[in-house]
Amino acid sequence: MFAYTIRRIIATIPVMATVALFVFSLLYIAPGDPAAIIAGDQATPADVERIRASLGLDRPFLVRFGEWVWHIIHGDLGTSIFTNLPVWHMIQQRLEPTASLMVLTLAFSITLAIPMGVVAAWKHGTWIDRAIMVVAVMGFSVPVFVIGYVLAYTFALQLDWFPVQGYTPLSHGFGPWLSNMVLPSLALGAIYIALIARITRATMLEVLSQDYVRTARAKGLDQRAILYVHALKNAAVPIVTVIGIGFAALIGGAVVTESVFAIPGLGRLTVDAILRRDYPVIQGVVLLFSFSYVIVNLLVDLLYTLFDPRIRY
Amino acid sequence: MKRRDFLRSTAAVSGVVSGAGLAMPRLARAQGARVLRFVPQANLSSLDAVAGTQYVVRNAALIIWDTLYGIDSKFEAKPQMCEGHEVSADFKTWTFKLREGLTFHDGERVTTRDVIASLQRWMVRDTMGQKIKASLDALEALDDRSFRFRLNKPFSKMLFALGKSNAPVALIMPERIARTDPFKLISEYVGSGPMKFRTDEWVPGASAVFEKFAAYQPRAEKGDWLSGGKRMLFDRVEWKILPDAATAAGALQNGEVDWWETPVSDLVPMLKRNKALEVAISDPFGNIGSLRMNHLYPPFNDVRARRAVLMALSQADYMQAVVGDDPELWKPLPSFFTPGTPVYTEAGGDILKGKRDYEGAKKLLAEAGYQGEPIILLVATDISITKAQGDVTADLLKKIGMNVDYQALDWGTVGARRAKKDPPGKGGWHIFHTWHAGADCVNPAPYTALDAGGDAAWFGWPKSDAVQADIAAWYEAGDLAAEKAAIAKLDEDSFANVTYAPTGFFLQYQAWSKSLSGVVKAPFPVFWDVQKA
Repeated sequence: MFAYTIRRIIATIPVMATVALFVFSLLYIAPGDPAAIIAGDQATPADVERIRASLGLDRPFLVRFGEWVWHIIHGDLGTSIFTNLPVWHMIQQRLEPTASLMVLTLAFSITLAIPMGVVAAWKHGTWIDRAIMVVAVMGFSVPVFVIGYVLAYTFALQLDWFPVQGYTPLSHGFGPWLSNMVLPSLALGAIYIALIARITRATMLEVLSQDYVRTARAKGLDQRAILYVHALKNAAVPIVTVIGIGFAALIGGAVVTESVFAIPGLGRLTVDAILRRDYPVIQGVVLLFSFSYVIVNLLVDLLYTLFDPRIRY
Repeated sequence: MKRRDFLRSTAAVSGVVSGAGLAMPRLARAQGARVLRFVPQANLSSLDAVAGTQYVVRNAALIIWDTLYGIDSKFEAKPQMCEGHEVSADFKTWTFKLREGLTFHDGERVTTRDVIASLQRWMVRDTMGQKIKASLDALEALDDRSFRFRLNKPFSKMLFALGKSNAPVALIMPERIARTDPFKLISEYVGSGPMKFRTDEWVPGASAVFEKFAAYQPRAEKGDWLSGGKRMLFDRVEWKILPDAATAAGALQNGEVDWWETPVSDLVPMLKRNKALEVAISDPFGNIGSLRMNHLYPPFNDVRARRAVLMALSQADYMQAVVGDDPELWKPLPSFFTPGTPVYTEAGGDILKGKRDYEGAKKLLAEAGYQGEPIILLVATDISITKAQGDVTADLLKKIGMNVDYQALDWGTVGARRAKKDPPGKGGWHIFHTWHAGADCVNPAPYTALDAGGDAAWFGWPKSDAVQADIAAWYEAGDLAAEKAAIAKLDEDSFANVTYAPTGFFLQYQAWSKSLSGVVKAPFPVFWDVQKA
């Protein structure tokens, strides 16, 4: 498995190279001009042109791309056109809030969704099953920002349990950190909970009809042991797969959630950079997201061996 | 249900709740009265108000950097970093002396070397600076505190140029920073203004922190906009970037922020109902909406086509679309200049008054040779003001028989597209919308949009020798009467040329906690003399 892991890590290089070329090309042909934004609305066309030249944006595609790749190879993601801050520094500033959001979302989602899916399968066809599935359908159907506003209105403005917006670093204490993260994680987690609950239910239904489950029941095993020890472990592979695939959805949802709750994370950094056409930042963040996605999928593949000993690499 | 409607309804409900006292301030209470939390109009993505002209950048820069002179609420330039000046009778020699004890945030003394380097950078970028530079024989240091402009032509508007608030602003920076290419953004933010910028706490797109500069010596006079004593009563001013209007409204009501610069009009009625908040128009000079036509290509290269648009344009339609039904927030503007200012005039503005003449407009368009070609209308749909204007224009053009190609874009794309001089069918454009701060439309100096210098003019590239002569006349005017005469002629010629189409005058609210006192009416947020109970 070690050799497999190394092979997969090496395989990320062409993937990242393709992403880099794609992102750079896309931004090159996309409309918009950071020089015009720096210059501001009152600047003259001549000023905009001079700023564009000073930023090197008038140089040919290959020159700019080559320079960017050369810097990346040397571990330098470049410098923001607007802030003059290194892109890596800007990403570092935003990593903790986004990582917090994702980890907590994942924790909420797995903690809530798997029992929901298991219970729905166990109580298949009853009102409990239907109620859980209604919740899951709602999680799919209602946009993240709507859930966010409803949560903020109810639990921040009305009940005053949590702040409306913002982020407190973990270093300032677990309580304040959690206080800022609960509502965004629940809002972002809704779709994830729905996704995992549904796939857990479907997989569990299949597993629960297997002969070995019937045998376990016939032997008089405790229902909880059947569900969570025997059945769930065998249903785990598709669930883990969905969690991995859902990571991409989580990144997309983080962009909206961070905007609604004013969390200074990578999602907002991405949106701001796109709106301003801050090319080095967009490129850096997209590379990071792509790399994370590749690594998460690698971890998912490795987790398969844990849940299903028949899988070997 | 649209997202906008949804946020309005949730925010409205939350307003009722907040008004009833259920949403209690929490974080603000814990932070004490020495920290001000401010939500600016936009993301603060840079801090260079010489290289860039964005208002949010200018607003931040005015806290960090000081100016030699500063305008007051009567638009008169008063000494700020300078002790005073001497001017020759022919307005060709201007000598200035700096106040004693001026220091930069890094502890270095402010000297004339810094001043000269800063002014040299500013003169490259600013319209008034360029006028000075064009007639400059020398800008020389007499000693560490005195310096002199020697010009070969009279320039009577020197003090206004050095003290005006619109970007590029004549900010005084340390020499090493001021040596930066004027077309590149600076990367070190050291000024001599009342607050220091905390670069280490800057999270672009999320927050920016300004810390009281202990060594700052405010002038003895009372603070008045950019003039007088800038007394900071806060230890820290924290800018919180909250791009989502509902979130900003919620944060203000919950006491998590103290002051919101630009609440969206949808949420204003709800904020007004909250007894803990003050909602008021804080910039009396407001804004002028703008419909900008491309003068290079048919049909708008023919003044008759441009006049046709003016004949049919209803400012009431535009303004109601921009600010809603609140009559306090807008008025018709048959002028290019800001109402209520000393030189305001309506000369030539009759074409915008009275019943709109759609048939006359159609006839004029036909005379201009318009034959139904698509009119490319660039609309920045991510900004409510440009989106609202764009929608009204699409309707207006259809009413006068034009074939509209409505292109919904984001502001970043409009900013790039409008700079293209290509024909409209090949990447160019016919019309885009923007707006101008009223404080920039008080005279021709900061008013780039009124320039009609052809290729060198602002986007749309209007050309009119008469307009250019009127602008020159204003620069040469020695007193208010002469300025008024020049402006009246400029307004008339600008309407004759249809340099652009003003879509009306509108104001915007600001909202702040009633725990704040000292918030003044100004075209930019003034943080000095504001305090929190």
